[in-house]
Amino acid sequence: MIGNDIVDLALAQKDSNWRRHGFLDKIFTEKEQLLILKSEYPETMVWNLWSRKEASYKIYNRQTQKRGYFPLQLECFTVDIINDFYYGNVIINEQIYFTKTEITSQYINTIAVLKVSDFDSIQFLKSNTAIQKDNGLPFYRDPKNAVLKPVSISHHGRFEQIVCI
Amino acid sequence: MDKQEIIEKLRSIVKPYSNNQNAFDNLTESTDFISDLQINSANLVDVILDIEEEFDIVIDNQSMERMLDVQSAIEIIELKLSEK
Repeated sequence: MIGNDIVDLALAQKDSNWRRHGFLDKIFTEKEQLLILKSEYPETMVWNLWSRKEASYKIYNRQTQKRGYFPLQLECFTVDIINDFYYGNVIINEQIYFTKTEITSQYINTIAVLKVSDFDSIQFLKSNTAIQKDNGLPFYRDPKNAVLKPVSISHHGRFEQIVCI
Repeated sequence: MDKQEIIEKLRSIVKPYSNNQNAFDNLTESTDFISDLQINSANLVDVILDIEEEFDIVIDNQSMERMLDVQSAIEIIELKLSEK
């Protein structure tokens, strides 16, 4: 299983005022808020953490069939920063997800997986790939062996990304 | 405050965040904020903060969890208003 999220930074800046009273409290834990407020680029950190929560939620939603709005329960931990990639974990209840987040000046993109080795087998699908939905969740039929693979789709502003393992 | 009044207030709250005009024009209790109105999930927090301000209530995390459609929003607003 895989989850992804992409944030178009220009659109996020236009559509969201993260400095709004109450905004951070509803989405981020105290530790995460400290990370944001201490960051040299707080806005980038807001979307960095947000995209990790969103990507992980997509797997969680698939695993549990539980739909809801509980960003505070998905807590982000940063493990390593290599070049412009943040590697980390998102933890909810007992479940742990591994996240890889790319930070650019235009977008922030997170891919979440269940085990680290999955990062090596990510496939990026073209935007015109035939996707079928089952119970609201997207799948892709691999033409090589006709196996149905779970995919994750993220679209925001100028960017779209479709991934599967 | 009756249900119709709450729906009308909700309608004006979600308007600036809605990305599907048709679903917005046909808003009912069963309208889903994300799958129907296509509100960006990062803007759902704005909807919740706007509801808190408009109705002068506090939406706790447990209530926020199920704040995904008009019907749940009405239930939560009614509950919080009754507790005031």
